[in-house]
Amino acid sequence: MCGGLAVKRVLPLLALFFLVVLLGHEFLRKRSPKVFTTTSGRIEMCLACHEERPEKAHARNVVGCSPCHLGDPLRIDKDLAHRGIVKNPADLRVAEKTCGQPVCHPDLPSRVKKSLMATNRGIIDTLRRYWGEIEEGNARLTPHGSVRGLMQSGETSLALDYFRKLCGSCHLWLKKGQYEGFLGRKGGGCVACHLVPGKKEAKHPVLTKKIPVKNCTRCHNRSGRIGLTYQGLYESEGYGTPLIEGEFGAETLEDGRFVERIPPDLHYKAGLVCADCHLQEETMGDGKEYVHLEESVEITCEACHGGKGLSRKGRPIPGVLKAQNKMLFKDLQGKVHPLKPPDPINCRHKVHQRLSCQACHAPRVPQCYGCHVRRDPNEKQLDKISGRETQGAWEEFRSYMRYETPTLGKQGERVVILVPG
Amino acid sequence: MSRSLPRRWVSWGLTASFFLALVSGLIVSYPFREEIPLVSTVGLETVIPFGAFFRAFHYYTGQLTFLLLGWHLVEALMVRAEKRRSPRAWFFLVGSLPLVTLALFTGYIVRGDQTGLSAGQIAEHLALKLPFLGVVVNRLLFSISEEGVHRAFMAHIYLSLAVFVLSGLWHFRLRTLRLDDLLLWFLLAGILALFWPVSLEAESFAPLIKGPWFFLGVQELLRHLPPFWAGVVFPLLPLLALWLYRFCPRVAGMVLSLWLGIYFWLTCVGAWR
Repeated sequence: MCGGLAVKRVLPLLALFFLVVLLGHEFLRKRSPKVFTTTSGRIEMCLACHEERPEKAHARNVVGCSPCHLGDPLRIDKDLAHRGIVKNPADLRVAEKTCGQPVCHPDLPSRVKKSLMATNRGIIDTLRRYWGEIEEGNARLTPHGSVRGLMQSGETSLALDYFRKLCGSCHLWLKKGQYEGFLGRKGGGCVACHLVPGKKEAKHPVLTKKIPVKNCTRCHNRSGRIGLTYQGLYESEGYGTPLIEGEFGAETLEDGRFVERIPPDLHYKAGLVCADCHLQEETMGDGKEYVHLEESVEITCEACHGGKGLSRKGRPIPGVLKAQNKMLFKDLQGKVHPLKPPDPINCRHKVHQRLSCQACHAPRVPQCYGCHVRRDPNEKQLDKISGRETQGAWEEFRSYMRYETPTLGKQGERVVILVPG
Repeated sequence: MSRSLPRRWVSWGLTASFFLALVSGLIVSYPFREEIPLVSTVGLETVIPFGAFFRAFHYYTGQLTFLLLGWHLVEALMVRAEKRRSPRAWFFLVGSLPLVTLALFTGYIVRGDQTGLSAGQIAEHLALKLPFLGVVVNRLLFSISEEGVHRAFMAHIYLSLAVFVLSGLWHFRLRTLRLDDLLLWFLLAGILALFWPVSLEAESFAPLIKGPWFFLGVQELLRHLPPFWAGVVFPLLPLLALWLYRFCPRVAGMVLSLWLGIYFWLTCVGAWR
């Protein structure tokens, strides 16, 4: 092998050259001043370079970076350390390995993936039924009747095309920042709700359980417009029609829609956010897969006002307290509110027994009339589920918006408000 | 052209690699603290000057030793080298193979990462399945659950030194190792060490942790057979076949080939998982 004289002569020179290369390589190599560890003794060499400071629950010296962002915490060479790294650990595609790992929130990713915010089953099922693509009847858990199912199957139809292009950005599978503008702020799995901006010097956003209304209304601002109405916002005409005494409606939402101010919900005025009332099991799923919102929603007015602090499915509502025979409610900010029981005459009288609370307590609600859509088969539009532009562009129209007394109707034996959205 | 001896460059490549592995092992063991194995290994990789290079160099020379030993063995069998050895000499020579494998294996354990510690724990359980000698063997080589990597670290050093010194005394002459052989294998391992960092696996909750590459076959077999058969009997089969090769080469050769084929296939399946 090395019998050749030439090889024998050149080997010492090669070895010398190699030593020079080794010295140069070592000189240029990044080295850490020490081995960085978390408080539990786990090695976290990311801390040698990264100065980001998340909030207390995910403190850098306790959690470090890699349990959430993956990568290789044993390296400081950027390419090696960043191998397999994820910018958004809360993305449902990786959540089992990050947020959902055994020592953190192990049961949540599987629950969230079954929640309506991830599946959008209700929207898909309703659209397909209204458009005659599936039969009326009991809602079904079809394999492709969910966002993930559509992502994987690529299945489409007229109703699904509409969903893909006009509704496809309001679900938890959407990658954060996938699209530009306000669409880019939507989605992202867990952080669609749990992320708020942090201090500039922290260089890291804050993960919170105190989910602000703003996070919910990134999506919950259409159809029933409950997120807007709750805050006292009324979506007005598309061109900012003056509503009161000729004033131009100059206030707009992130997506450019005009809004007017109306009296907000009493709970909003009291400082309550959506997550104060809505249970974790409603929003993040209870492990079962539902098709429609009404199957999933548990909270009722009566649970707090005159009830025992239990949801429709018998789960205790975390904020409800009992002190000195009074029912109180402690919100996520720690503020305690008295819970007013229903009026013994107006609410309890037998002639009002069938009325839902909203039938009386929602005297005026925003209503949208004359909704219709148009599809131009010659134009292209972004399919927000697949991320590709495909043939067929949808446009929505409405005749007019009204802020007025809602129509009452029957849902089963209950008298409820009927709101065209 | 028929040969009467294994190729020289393989034999001396093996010797040179083994020697370089021992020297680099002495260097990396200096800053190594066995009570904090992973911190020590990461310290070598990221803090200590030339630490990453020497660690990788030690790794690659160790791997070369193992691979060249396998090659050397195949060549030795092909030239019927066992005929030139007394039964006792052949017995001890063959006996050095598991010792080298164990030296390599304990090297993985010593680094204290996920791969090493998990492989060590599996090996500990397998050692305890050995009839009569299980507890003693485990105490000598592993005992991970009670003593961390201490035993494995000691075994790694002692086994490597013992095999090298005894082979040097009896199977080859170290003083005849030529400088150009040494330089060649130094360069080869050095280039590998410089450009291909050695793996180090952080703690994770991954459902499957893969052990060292040569252990994947045993790991895969453990899915299908009880530990005693998969982890003790099956790995000892080639050793038995090698001992018997002297007496019935045809049958022993078939057993060895079959075993190698099965083990290769198991390794591929294990790697694919």
